[in-house]
Amino acid sequence: MSTSTWTTTYTYTHTATYLSDVIMGTIADVLALLGITPSDSNRWDEDQAAIAAWIEEQSLEMVVLECRRPDGTARPIFEFPIAYRAGEGQFENSRASMARAHAKISSVPSGSTYRLFCTFRMARTPQPGWGPGTRASTAGLRSTSFGSLADAPHASADLRYLR
Amino acid sequence: MQRRRTIAAAPRRTATEVWATICSLIGDTLERSSSINRAHVDTALAPLGQLARMLISAGHLENHPLVLVADDLWLEISTASGVEALTMDENLNPVPGGGTATDWTLHVPQVEPMAKLAQATAAGQAHLSADEPVEQTQSSASAATGVDVEALAAWARERA
Repeated sequence: MSTSTWTTTYTYTHTATYLSDVIMGTIADVLALLGITPSDSNRWDEDQAAIAAWIEEQSLEMVVLECRRPDGTARPIFEFPIAYRAGEGQFENSRASMARAHAKISSVPSGSTYRLFCTFRMARTPQPGWGPGTRASTAGLRSTSFGSLADAPHASADLRYLR
Repeated sequence: MQRRRTIAAAPRRTATEVWATICSLIGDTLERSSSINRAHVDTALAPLGQLARMLISAGHLENHPLVLVADDLWLEISTASGVEALTMDENLNPVPGGGTATDWTLHVPQVEPMAKLAQATAAGQAHLSADEPVEQTQSSASAATGVDVEALAAWARERA
């Protein structure tokens, strides 16, 4: 029988993989909830890999999901700020409480699309499929904090909702 | 023949790596059958790739498994994340029971908010379904012989 085992030494790679997975999973749930067609799997892989790489090098400040309506406005917007710290904490997430919060998320018109942005706190390594971009204005949007989304030994991710 | 497999997800694997592992497990299991072509299995699973990544990342497969039904074989495939993913022992061997299969269907869980996406993804796909797997299959499998003939034969070959 072939089995595999793993040590319990937590690395930055573990933290980056875990947080990027929870963030992408939350984005997946939001897109499905809003009826927005997700990007193809190749693009999805690029986005997950880029977010993981930037968390691992600790350059990533925030991931932003903008829902673009057919009239060109961006609403709602979801922000995933990342906080870094020394190696402490465990792998935990708040997916269950997020699921309960789905009812608070406003709908979007048919034909809406989405864009992902990342902001940085220091120089980052370029990643495939990512280039410079400009976020939509958040002026006039109301911000609601969903609190902690995921926790890992070297970093954590929160979630804010702007509508 | 009811079986379960749990695949380690994040932080051990990305969602893409988990999906590749699941595809390998299904392909390795079904290609034991002389009636099923491995390449056809890979092709039939491909349309599910995007939704599978989403289900895995969102943690839905932790509580709502994919179910592979292939004649008498009933295989539930779930995922585990967090510390469990780093400490668990996995069994990625081909699952006994695939050798006698003549047809197969992978049932995708209809879990909110991805139920509509699951239906749309499975629609028109010969080997994918967003319907609940038929209980009869599970019942008849449970009522079948308790001896895993295929595993016994494999053991005998190894001993020979």
